Amino acid sequence: MAELERHSFDVLVIGAGGAGLRAAIEAREHGMRTAVLCKSLFGKAHTVMAEGGIAAAMGNVNSNDSWQVHFRDTMRGGKFLNNWRMAELHAKEAPDRVWELETYGALFDRTADGRVSQRNFGGHEYPRLAHVGDRTGLELIRTLQQKIVSLQQEDHAETGDHEAKLRVFQEFTVSDLLVEDGRIAGAFGYWRESGRFALFTSPAVILATGGIGKSFKVTSNSWEYTGDGHALALRAGASLINMEFIQFHPTGMVWPPSVKGILVTESVRGDGGVLRNSEGKRFMFDYIPEVFKEKYADSEAEGDRWYTDADNNRRPPELLPRDEVARAINSEVKAGRGTEHGGVFLDVSTRLPAEEITRRLPSMHHQFKELADVDITAQPMEVGPTCHYVMGGVEVDPDTGASSVPGLFAAGEVSGGMHGSNRLGGNSLSDLLVFGRRAGTGASDYVSALPVRPVPSEAAVAEAQATALAPFSGEGGENPYTLHMELQQAMNDLVGIIRKAEEIEQALERLEGLKARARTLTVEGHRQFNPGWHLALDLRNMLVVSECVAKAALLRTESRGGHTRDDYPGMDPEWRRKLLVCRTTGPSEVDVEVKAQIPIREDLLELFDRGELEKYLTGDELGS
Amino acid sequence: MTASTAEQTSSSGSKGSEPPVPEGAITVTVKIRRFNTEFDDEPRWDSFEIPALPSDRVLNLLHYVKWYLDGTLTFRRSCAHGICGSDAMRINGVNRLACKVLLKDLLSAGGKPTTITIEPIKGLPVHKDLLVDMEPFFEAFRAVQPYLINYSPEPTRERLQSAADRERFDDTTKCILCACCTTSCPVYWTDGSYFGPAAIVNAHRFIFDSRDEGAEERLDILSDKEGVWRCRTTFNCTDACPRGIQVTKAIQEVKRALLFKRV
Repeated sequence: MAELERHSFDVLVIGAGGAGLRAAIEAREHGMRTAVLCKSLFGKAHTVMAEGGIAAAMGNVNSNDSWQVHFRDTMRGGKFLNNWRMAELHAKEAPDRVWELETYGALFDRTADGRVSQRNFGGHEYPRLAHVGDRTGLELIRTLQQKIVSLQQEDHAETGDHEAKLRVFQEFTVSDLLVEDGRIAGAFGYWRESGRFALFTSPAVILATGGIGKSFKVTSNSWEYTGDGHALALRAGASLINMEFIQFHPTGMVWPPSVKGILVTESVRGDGGVLRNSEGKRFMFDYIPEVFKEKYADSEAEGDRWYTDADNNRRPPELLPRDEVARAINSEVKAGRGTEHGGVFLDVSTRLPAEEITRRLPSMHHQFKELADVDITAQPMEVGPTCHYVMGGVEVDPDTGASSVPGLFAAGEVSGGMHGSNRLGGNSLSDLLVFGRRAGTGASDYVSALPVRPVPSEAAVAEAQATALAPFSGEGGENPYTLHMELQQAMNDLVGIIRKAEEIEQALERLEGLKARARTLTVEGHRQFNPGWHLALDLRNMLVVSECVAKAALLRTESRGGHTRDDYPGMDPEWRRKLLVCRTTGPSEVDVEVKAQIPIREDLLELFDRGELEKYLTGDELGS
Repeated sequence: MTASTAEQTSSSGSKGSEPPVPEGAITVTVKIRRFNTEFDDEPRWDSFEIPALPSDRVLNLLHYVKWYLDGTLTFRRSCAHGICGSDAMRINGVNRLACKVLLKDLLSAGGKPTTITIEPIKGLPVHKDLLVDMEPFFEAFRAVQPYLINYSPEPTRERLQSAADRERFDDTTKCILCACCTTSCPVYWTDGSYFGPAAIVNAHRFIFDSRDEGAEERLDILSDKEGVWRCRTTFNCTDACPRGIQVTKAIQEVKRALLFKRV
């Protein structure tokens, strides 16, 4: 076998989305020789798909906004399960991160006086989302990419080497982290194109790998979202929290099959689109929960008047929070009133004139015409819940992003806690910037204080190599694509948007079977760009992460945010005080245990009315 | 070897068990330019018979091949929404994103059999099948200083920008760096040292940004022999852009800025 390619860095960042790039910039600023390792081409990460904006209480549009109000909204959205320190740091620092991005050169839509404009979004009390049209995520990634190009040119001017301080390794997959005496020592992986292995020695690793959506059949997530960072953290000995909480966006396309999962933005409903079942009934009126009855219209007539006169009418129930709408659609389909393809109809064509639709919803009209040959001015869309975001992730120290394994850090979607049981729209892009930067600082400080750097043992390297090559010697004869589809089906059907004990138990049984089959699946041919082999390795990650989701979902006997138990429909204040922590025991066994939440700091609690706190906290927490 | 069929068992990768055939599917022939630089002496064409729906996109057809017929087929894709710009390829001779081309727009008239040809984008070295080396493309992008240059002290909040100033360069900020434009340019094909349209678009994005103070440096770079004067205004780039950017117009604006020394 050819000599193993070897590199050495001060800080490794895995993932090149918003969190990874922001972390890398920060680590370099702290003088660390930094490498970014990413599966796609540099600049193509999943962050590009974020449309809405970056939530930050800059107060540019409404000066009443403040970090305190943003903090309150975030805690409410997460049903108070959030790590309150993360929610506090996020609310306080998001404005500075947006201004900083602007000085890097990001394009933003502007207010009349030339400041960064902010838009309204679900769950945010004031207009808060800094945005550029519906391509904010793309602009965020492009700006960070441009910033990195400029830093590399600075480094070239100074040292003669563009990559002296910050180097990007693109189309490279990390298959295992290397740990020596309980500390991070490096990472091992392969070039996707050549299949050749490379070893990175580094005392610090920042995980910024995003989410896990590819474990579900219907998802808005792109191919990279196979839970790599979650699984790498588990195998390195770190813990995951909140894995039972997964956000399903209510309106993903379910037909035609070529676009399954693609999002239909909330503004279709905001601009008049209504949901109907196969009987033509506008069913959302049957699903207004007691707590929202005062705020939502109880007749179609009133709901329709709201679009033109919001002050004197209540809003239509199509605009309930994401989780409520998703559950309602799911119930209609389960009751046999769904469309032929398992969704419901979202119709704007009979509600507005064609030219009005193309004027108000140009990108949606364009997207459906172009990607699916559906003309939304002439026909309804078929939609259903689509797996969108995982709230759970690596358990980290809020201030530094450090996991429980020395040298291992995490930021962005792969970390857990910030969003509690449910994330607000717009809080994801701000999360990436705030905690990407913090993890970059955290890792740099850790490396600077380290007296001796651990070195990966040759035995550990050999083991990582053997693990990566195992799929070539499998004799089960099974195709990784078949296994992947079965996994997606099981998670979608049994640990999806509505859960119950028997179904989750069935899912766990199926996962056991899939795990056994995954150990013997067969990949043919060479290592040179072999997508079947890549999937076989990704499956190992998806299976262990899916097991975390299922086991945590079974234990949490209540419904809260992105976790709905049909058999335990209520929210239980006792459960708010508990986190479910996942670890691996043995090669692929997942163990989940209950851990007490740290009580919310007094001055933060005082930001809320007692009446509101009573909905979430127990009597002794309220000190009654 | 000139052609293989759907029944062919591939030499590597993974094969599917029972390929699904959606109801209402029609069978089309997809001819794909294959080349494995590590094993093949020269490129070849492989043909696959694929059952597909008119609403399918070319990306779906490629996935069908990879999942069920030949797991070694290599191409890039990420978001599949036309936003990340990973899956640029030559489809029936024109540069497109595979995730944004519908089969129905490629079907032969009168129900005659349809053949779709798919090749890698031109002008960049092929690594394997549809996957090309993007480095020369990104090298040109980096050469035009594609980042904000501003010598005044950093503000504590944002720099102000009027709606009109912001609008001035809105079009060129839509670029997704997919390379459709650059690799459709006949000048770029014959002379790889030309920066190409995408790099000029990205220079335009900053030259016309009211917050930027680096226009002069960038214009110097672009007036070089590899710069804007190579453009022969064939409009291939504008036709190829999946984002609808007026690429040729942007290049003309840069030329004009050079001629009249002002932006």
